[in-house]
Amino acid sequence: MSSRVRLVLACVATLAVIAPLGWFWQASLLPEEYSVMDMGYVDFGGGPRPGGLADGVAGHAGMHAGGTSIAGLVADPDRRPDVRVDLRAEKGTFKLASGREVDGYTLNGQSPGPVIRAEEGDLVEVRLENVSVPDGVTLHWHGVDVPNAMDGVAGVTQEAVRRGESFTYRFLADRVGTYWYHSHQLSHEQVQQGLLGGLVVSPREGVPADVDVPALVHLYDGARTINGQEGDVPVRALPGQTVRVRVVNTDNGPMPVWVTGSSYRLRAIDGTDVHQPAPVTGEAVLVTAGGRADLEIVMPQDGSGARVEAGGAALVLGGAKHTESPAPTEFVDPLSYGSPRPAGFDPAESTRSFEYVIGRRPGFLDGRPGLWWTVNGHMFPDVPMFTVAQGDVVRMRIENESGDVHPMHLHGHHALVLSRDGVEATGSPWWVDSLDVQDGESYEVAFVADNPGVWMDHCHNLPHAAEGLVAHFMYAGYHTPYSIGGNGGNRPE
Amino acid sequence: MKSVYRVLAFIIALGVAFQAAVMVFAIAGLGIWVDEGNSFDKAAVEALFDGELSFTGSVGMMLHGMNGMMVMPALALILLIVSFFAKVPGGVKWATAVLLAVVVQIALGIFGHSNAYFGLLHGVNALILFGLAVTAGMRVRRLDTAPARSASAPEREMV
Repeated sequence: MSSRVRLVLACVATLAVIAPLGWFWQASLLPEEYSVMDMGYVDFGGGPRPGGLADGVAGHAGMHAGGTSIAGLVADPDRRPDVRVDLRAEKGTFKLASGREVDGYTLNGQSPGPVIRAEEGDLVEVRLENVSVPDGVTLHWHGVDVPNAMDGVAGVTQEAVRRGESFTYRFLADRVGTYWYHSHQLSHEQVQQGLLGGLVVSPREGVPADVDVPALVHLYDGARTINGQEGDVPVRALPGQTVRVRVVNTDNGPMPVWVTGSSYRLRAIDGTDVHQPAPVTGEAVLVTAGGRADLEIVMPQDGSGARVEAGGAALVLGGAKHTESPAPTEFVDPLSYGSPRPAGFDPAESTRSFEYVIGRRPGFLDGRPGLWWTVNGHMFPDVPMFTVAQGDVVRMRIENESGDVHPMHLHGHHALVLSRDGVEATGSPWWVDSLDVQDGESYEVAFVADNPGVWMDHCHNLPHAAEGLVAHFMYAGYHTPYSIGGNGGNRPE
Repeated sequence: MKSVYRVLAFIIALGVAFQAAVMVFAIAGLGIWVDEGNSFDKAAVEALFDGELSFTGSVGMMLHGMNGMMVMPALALILLIVSFFAKVPGGVKWATAVLLAVVVQIALGIFGHSNAYFGLLHGVNALILFGLAVTAGMRVRRLDTAPARSASAPEREMV
């Protein structure tokens, strides 16, 4: 073989290696600015094309054409707020209650931000001011089914609030329960570094407990904290008193919570009360990332107190002298915990049925090579746009075959868990906004599409969301005027 | 080109050693960090990979992932491309073997997240990859000491 032929062959072989890679790389690049409504492909969940969409309109282009802007989906503008809070977001170094110095973000000079308390039916108004967060900031009301324009997702439901700007959130606290708020601009960084706080909605007649403690669990620089305090956090409680501990998992992984020195009841999951919860001993509650669990502990009469263990930190109730007990290997299974009661709608009358199958494969994400998440076999941004009409009863099967656990978070709605791996739910209705789907598991959930807008449905392991595990739910006849990237610099993940 | 091939092959072998070193660095550091009273769970794992948690050695986890997922496959690809041009006897064959071993290594690393037994094979395959990379590099030296074989051998390898 002549050296020239050889050289040509070598060049051809090189091209054969490089060309496909280059093609995949190029094809993965995202535009500078895009609307989430242009992402991926429309999925009607086997239901009819909703009335808001003209027949014969192919794909997304038609969705922009008409419909109502989600910007108008707000709480009653004429009603005076019952609860008013000002939150000033800043970037900088701050001290945790424990004295540890952390580089990150604060709200009103502290992290976690102040706990916002409201009563059922209150109109809550929160004015967010960005004092010094360079990348912009928003607040998402995790678990509260707010009107779409108040959902706080940069580039989807609003523009990120730039330095010197402010944004006012208004929503009706119409459901009792434990919630939290956090930034949904660059959330994988801003939430981890402290832009978050608790939100508690109490019944009008008061919380049925003598002591009511939010327990916002967060990892700062690798240190587990409860309400910003490390290690053992004391809580006053007298023998015989009932203590309600509102655990909020603000981190990116499932967290076991258990009690030393007493039995407990799991009173609520993700803000919804459990019906007739039985006392639990020797089992832990696995709190989903982003999820909440309300534990009720009746303080032992002998004054020995109790400890609530949460990932290395603990609440020490009533001066308990116990040492930390080892983590139980058994977990409360909400699928069969509590006793059944009517859920308020019939999942069997579903009008749409979606699949949300999570996988993983190598490829390029916006030009970056790596191993990326897939939804129904497609990599971001080519993911399904789940499309519903108002009033639909929606079923969704969430399956995880990706090799990692995913805490799936649906914005703006609560979903009822119907079954796991084919085993039907038999306990108290299990309503979630954040659902842990372990590798190899498959859940079926259902919900009523009663809150119009464009909603995220994503993994609340926030780095995973930044790696493309994000899809959206949209109501036919609505569109978002906001976009990701561009001059607004909106980057929700 | 031959020396490029040789140097690249040895860099890949060094890369394997680097991978082993930073992993043990990280695991040793993790053990000490837990001994100091910290708790290691899923949230800590995520914080670690996101660079939000640090202890002596923690950088090893990130380096292992980045080097293994990006640098090593890139080096193996470049070695293969160089092999097309460098007239190293058996050069293409060995570069292909190195690339395949890298692909298998990444796959085993990934599968290890679902099933720990793949981690055992990940460790063994690292040594295979190391051996292949060293062998590929040594081909060039052999070529220098055995000039009689150099004229025809590479052409056969090409086809």
